[in-house]
Amino acid sequence: MTEALQFFLISWLDLKLLGLVALGTFAGIYVGAIPGLSVTMAVSILISFTFAWDVYPALCLMVGIYMGGVYGGSRTAILLNIPGAPSAIATALDGYPLAQKGQAGEAIGLSTVMSFVGGFIGIGVLAVAAPFVSEFALTFQPRDYMLLAILGILLVGSLSGESLLKGVFAGALGLLIGAVGLDPLTAEERFTFGMVELWGGISFIAVMIGLFGVSEALTQLHYIDKAAVKQTIGRIVPSWRAVGKYLPLSMQTSSIGVIIGALPGTGGDIAALMAYDHAKRITRHPEVPFGEGAQEGLVAPETANNAAVGGAFIPMLTLGIPGDAVTAIIIGAMFIHGLNPGPMLMIEQPQMFWFITGALVLANIFMLIFGLTGIRLFTKIVEMPRAVLIPLILLLSIVGAYAVNNSITDVYWMLLFGAFGYLLKTYGYQVGPVILGVILSRLIDENWRRAIISEQEDLGRLFLSILTSPLSLVLFGAVVFIFISQTPLWTGLRARFGTARARGDGV
Amino acid sequence: MHDPSKKMPGETAFAVVLVGLSGFLLWQAILISGFEALSSPGAFPMAAAFAMLVTSVAILIKTLRLRERMALRFFTDVAPPVILAMFAMMLGYALLLKPLGFLPTSLLFLTVSIFALRRRGLLWSFGVSLASLALVYVIFRLVFTVLMPSGIVPEGEILAWLGDLFSGGDAQ
Repeated sequence: MTEALQFFLISWLDLKLLGLVALGTFAGIYVGAIPGLSVTMAVSILISFTFAWDVYPALCLMVGIYMGGVYGGSRTAILLNIPGAPSAIATALDGYPLAQKGQAGEAIGLSTVMSFVGGFIGIGVLAVAAPFVSEFALTFQPRDYMLLAILGILLVGSLSGESLLKGVFAGALGLLIGAVGLDPLTAEERFTFGMVELWGGISFIAVMIGLFGVSEALTQLHYIDKAAVKQTIGRIVPSWRAVGKYLPLSMQTSSIGVIIGALPGTGGDIAALMAYDHAKRITRHPEVPFGEGAQEGLVAPETANNAAVGGAFIPMLTLGIPGDAVTAIIIGAMFIHGLNPGPMLMIEQPQMFWFITGALVLANIFMLIFGLTGIRLFTKIVEMPRAVLIPLILLLSIVGAYAVNNSITDVYWMLLFGAFGYLLKTYGYQVGPVILGVILSRLIDENWRRAIISEQEDLGRLFLSILTSPLSLVLFGAVVFIFISQTPLWTGLRARFGTARARGDGV
Repeated sequence: MHDPSKKMPGETAFAVVLVGLSGFLLWQAILISGFEALSSPGAFPMAAAFAMLVTSVAILIKTLRLRERMALRFFTDVAPPVILAMFAMMLGYALLLKPLGFLPTSLLFLTVSIFALRRRGLLWSFGVSLASLALVYVIFRLVFTVLMPSGIVPEGEILAWLGDLFSGGDAQ
C-alpha cells in the first residue's frame, strides 16, 4: 500500500513531471477549446514529440492533454455553441442558452467544478476497479480478447458515425494498415510489395497525424473566413450553494460516465449524451426547461465526460483495449515506449498503474485551477485567426511525423493519409475506427491465431467453445447485437416500441 | 457537411475507388499464404480485406441508389483551390526540408501560407511567421529536443556558439 502511494506521488514530487502535467493540461484545455482543434489532434501531434523522452515525462504530458482536452471542449460549446470536442456536444444544449442570457461566466465556472468532480470520481473508480478487472482479465481466453477488440471497433464504428457500414469499412482498413510489414509470428511479408522499407510496417504516428492532424486542418480551411465571436464573461467561480445543489445529480451522472467510458469503444461523447438524457428524465421540475439554459443540463454531460476519462483507462490499462481514439493513441505511444498495456502490466509493472493514476489526479486538479483562471488569455487564444493557426498546425504535423524516425518517408505517408482522411471525412466516413483498427490489428491477429490453433484449426470447435463459455457468449452476443441493431428489422421493432412507450407516457 | 440522404460531388467515384482498393488488397492478402490454414499469416488480412470489400460494395450500391444530389461542385466545395494549394505547399515543404533545412523551409512555408490565407501584407505575414517559428523552435527544438535537418543553416554551430557565450559568461 505504501508502495502504491509512493508510485502515486512520483509526479507530485518531481518538479519536472509536475510541470509537464500542468503544461499538458493547459495545452489540452486550450486546444480543446479552439473549435476545429480536437483533443485527438493535439494528442496525436504532441505525442510524436515525446518518443525520445523517458516514459514518465511522456505519460505526464499525455495524461494532462487528455484530461484538459475533454474539459476544454465545453468552453466553446458554452460561448459559441460550437462544441470544441465531440464530448461537449451535449454541453452546448444548455450551456449556450445560458451564455445567451449573459450567464456565460457562471456556466463556465459550474462546468469546471463539475468536470473536476466527475474527473475525480472517474479516477477513483479506476483506482479501485482496475486491479480487480485485471485479475479477472487473466482468465480471458484468446478468443475473448479477439471478440472484445472487434466489439470495440464496432462500437466506435456504429455509435460515432452515420452508418455501421462505413464504420466497419474504416475499422477493417485500420486492421489492414496495422498488418503491413513482416508477420510477427512467421516473419512472412505482408503487403510489402517487395519493399524493404515496409518490413517494419507503416508508422503508426504517420497514420495518426495524417488522419487527425492534417485532415482536420484541411477541413478547417473551409471556414477560414469565419470570424471568432467575442463574449463578455463575468464572475466565473460558482457559489457553494450551486455546487452543493447539483452534487447528488453529479454523482449519478459520473457513474454513467465511468461505466460508458469503461466499455471498450465508447468514450466521453456517448457518456455525456446519456448523462444528459438521464438528467432530463430524473429532473421533474427544473427551474428552467431543458434546452433553454437548465443548469442540470450542463452539470450532467460535464461530469460524465470527465468521469469517462478515468473509465476509459480501465480497459486500456487492464486489457490493452482502447476506449476511444485518444486512448488508442495513448496505447500506441505506450507500445513505442516498451510498455505492454494489458493484465500483465498490473502484475509486472504496478508502479506504472499507480503513476498514471497519480498523474490523472494531478491533471484533474490543474484542470480546476486553469479552468477557473486565465479567462482573458483564453478569449485571446480562441480569437486567434485561423489563417495563422492552420499553417502552424500543418507545420507541426510535418515536424511531428518527421521527428519520430527522422524519416521523410513518414512525412509522405502522413500526407497521403491526410488527404485520404480528408476525403473519408468529407464523404461521411469516421476516421476514429481506422486508428482503433491500426492499434488493435496485432492483438486481434495474434489472438485469433492462438484461439484457432488451440482448437486444432477447427472453426466448429471454436464456435462451440464460444457458446459454452459465459464470457465469450456475452461478448459474441454483443457483437451480433450491433449488427442486428443496424438492420431494418430492429429499427422497425424499435419504432413500434417507441410509439407504444410514447403512448404510455401520454396516459 | 455530409448528408447521407443526398449525393455529394465525387462520392460515387470515391466509393468506386474504395471498392477497387479493397479488391486489390484482398488479392494481395490471398497472395500472402493462400488458403493453406486458418492460422496462416494471410488469414487475418484476408478477413479484414474481405470485410472492406463487402462493406465498400454495399456503400457503392447505396450511393448509386441516391437520387437527390447536393447543389455542390467538386472543385469549389469538396476540393476547392485553397485546400489543393495548401496540400501542394505541404508537399513542397516535405521536398525542401532535407536540402534547405528546417528553419528556412518553415519560414517560407509559414510566410507564404499565412499571406495567401490572410491577405494582410507580406511584411505582416513574415513578422507573424517569424514570431511563431521562434516559438516553435524554442518549444520543440530546445525544450523537446526534436532533431530536424539543419540544411543550409549552420544551426549546430550557432547553438554551440551561444552555449559557449553563456558558459563563458558564467566562468568570468
